[in-house]
Amino acid sequence: MTRNDATGEDTIGEGLEELCRVHDIGLDLIRHSDDVEDLLDRILDEYEERLAGLGDAPLDAGETTGERAPMRGLVMFAAQAAALKEKATAAASLRASNDALRAALAEEERGRRRLDAVLAALDAGIAVVDGEGRVRHANRAAARLAGVPEEGVIGAEVRALVGDVASGGDGAIERSRDGGTRTVLVSRRPLRSEPGAEVVLLSDVTDHEHERRGRLERLAETMRTLSTLCHKINNPLTSLMGRAQLLRRYEGVDERVVKAAEVIEESARCIADDVRELARTVKDGRRDALDAGDGEDAR
Amino acid sequence: MNVSIERLGAVLVIRPEGGDTLDGACAGDVKRRVLAAIDGGCDVVVDLGALEFVDSAGLGVMVSVFKAVRRYGRRAVFARTRPALRRIMRIIQLDRIFVLADDVDAALAILAPEPIAAAD
Repeated sequence: MTRNDATGEDTIGEGLEELCRVHDIGLDLIRHSDDVEDLLDRILDEYEERLAGLGDAPLDAGETTGERAPMRGLVMFAAQAAALKEKATAAASLRASNDALRAALAEEERGRRRLDAVLAALDAGIAVVDGEGRVRHANRAAARLAGVPEEGVIGAEVRALVGDVASGGDGAIERSRDGGTRTVLVSRRPLRSEPGAEVVLLSDVTDHEHERRGRLERLAETMRTLSTLCHKINNPLTSLMGRAQLLRRYEGVDERVVKAAEVIEESARCIADDVRELARTVKDGRRDALDAGDGEDAR
Repeated sequence: MNVSIERLGAVLVIRPEGGDTLDGACAGDVKRRVLAAIDGGCDVVVDLGALEFVDSAGLGVMVSVFKAVRRYGRRAVFARTRPALRRIMRIIQLDRIFVLADDVDAALAILAPEPIAAAD
């Protein structure tokens, strides 16, 4: 074997050794590629070691990279390392985006469930109607108040909920429930976020209505009683005043009797004025009851 | 070769100067002085504008600085690498490992904290 052959074999041997080292390093880096920071630490350590192993040899274009095994090894390792680092960074970024997206979706889901729970707990009915007049969302109370089966409310026409109440307006509907008739107040308002869509609110005002009617009835009853009282006082009072006037006109009546008759007449007139005032109040009270919507009892 | 150290806001700017070569002759001394200045208190910009020639020892210093800054959980950016140095870094793919910037201002912009989004 010549010296050149021996040098050539050493070079080949060195090259193969370096190739194996690079391969081992490469496998190690791949093993750590799930953690970008850990991977980068290992890459930098390997760079430091390899650069130190090159000594103070220049690295610029004056020397071909094919001449020395350590330099070749550095270049091979560097190509793998850089590519792996970029892949790992991209993967980590994608994982972070996915995590953020999953967290956002979970939060949105929690928010939705929270809203559903709130709507389910309400006594008032809330429904969302789309631009084609179909119910898209409704809470349980909406179905109950409208008298629509719960399983059939989604997809139902809006008329099933609101009766004749016009779009954008307010009104009342009557529904049979629990063996009686319930009065339900309905309000329809546009949903700004969706053109053509509406929010429908329903609330059972039957008990309020009963209370209101009860108050009006009691008021009317009081007015009737007062009116009757006015009549009952006026009749004898008129008679009293008349007699007192006659008494004053009789001839030969004692002066003291005439004076007494004057006092009686004057007092009766005051009482008549008070009764007239009371009668006017009764009439006004009945008018108020009429304005409040209870026409029959106010007459 | 000297090393100047300057604090610009929340960033330490390290500048090898007084020579255009970072090689085996001065790499050890430069490495020692630069590493002494890094205490983890802030991010670091290394201004390489003065360097025309860097050998493997010089690159080793840069790797050591990058490692030291990362160990503190901080970031390092190398600014103003000249074409010759950039070429060498490209050969051994360090331009894909390090964070590089065209100038110190660009490096500072990379290190600037992200603005907090305004509430709706």
